[in-house]
Amino acid sequence: MRDHHNAKGQPLGCHECSEGLQDYLDGTLDKQQSLRIFLHLRECPGCQAEHDRLHGLFEMLETMPDHPLPEGFDEAILASVPYDSYRQMEPIRRERVAVFLEEEFLPAWVRSPVTRLTGVGVAAVSVASIMFLDGAGLLFAVAAIGVAPQVVVSLQGMGRRLSLNQRRAEG
Amino acid sequence: MFDRHQDLKTIQRCKRGEEPAFAEILGRYKGAIYNLCYRMTRNGEDARDLAQEVFIKVFSLLDRFDESYAFSSWLFRIATNHCIDHLRRNRLRFLSLEGGVGKDGQEYELQFPGTEPGPDTVLQRKEAMERLEEVIADLPPHYRVIIMLRHDQQLSYDEIAEVLQMPLGTVKARIHRARNLLIQMLKSRSYDI
Ligand SMILES: [Zn+2]
Repeated sequence: MRDHHNAKGQPLGCHECSEGLQDYLDGTLDKQQSLRIFLHLRECPGCQAEHDRLHGLFEMLETMPDHPLPEGFDEAILASVPYDSYRQMEPIRRERVAVFLEEEFLPAWVRSPVTRLTGVGVAAVSVASIMFLDGAGLLFAVAAIGVAPQVVVSLQGMGRRLSLNQRRAEG
Repeated sequence: MFDRHQDLKTIQRCKRGEEPAFAEILGRYKGAIYNLCYRMTRNGEDARDLAQEVFIKVFSLLDRFDESYAFSSWLFRIATNHCIDHLRRNRLRFLSLEGGVGKDGQEYELQFPGTEPGPDTVLQRKEAMERLEEVIADLPPHYRVIIMLRHDQQLSYDEIAEVLQMPLGTVKARIHRARNLLIQMLKSRSYDI
């Protein structure tokens, strides 16, 4: 609102116009500012001349002729590419999966078969007990904690296989 | 300006060691990189060596390329740094011009008198281009490179910020200063644009 008023009531000074010319030509000003410069340029031959000079420079910079590439430019480059090492790296690179899917992401004690088997055993005993005893809530919790390591390891393994299959399909 | 998605696909083929993919990338970018090197050094042999070294380096480092960036930005960054390093190593060749117009602006006027405008406008334009290239070559390297990225390669401010790894505001301010210096130098050599 105020800006709009400014655009009509308080014209831009030459200094401000000159400061904004590069942005004006770059097209990075908002509509209001752009309009103010546009209006000032229409009224002010001095700034218009500066605008034209800058515009001419922009145009020249953008149309500078390309220098032709020297003969045999590509050969030296293409001869140096280590194609073989890329090919050898490829299987290794392709076996990569997200960090949390790498086996090492889980602590060793979680991955240990002893932990997992014990956990599953405790869970089985708990579930069996639920059928005969009261206090089932607590036993459910014990069962859940018991199977946790096995579940985590299985999920991770499934994720890793899915991720690798997808990569192979893409490749 | 460059097709980021297409580049990524080609790069992935490069990473698998497919020879034609390297030639494709080279075909897509050699003109731009050679011209950047040429305008930075204004010497065909240096430009050829630098541009070739840039591609050799890039093609041996593809495994380290972070695919979340645009390949063009990464390539231009390596090229830019390589040219500036080269200019630093050969500092003596342009030492007196490092300070720009502020320090020795008068010298320019003595060294480079204005040229008489010819009758042929094509010729005039060609001469004007040559003078412009000459003045650009005398800009301090970090100004020269930003002018080239913006106007010759026509990268956006955002892309330049990615190439030079600078905040957008710094990029903008530097481009403004570079253009002002360029105009000042053209004026001081009485070169009309
Ligand atoms: Zn004015």
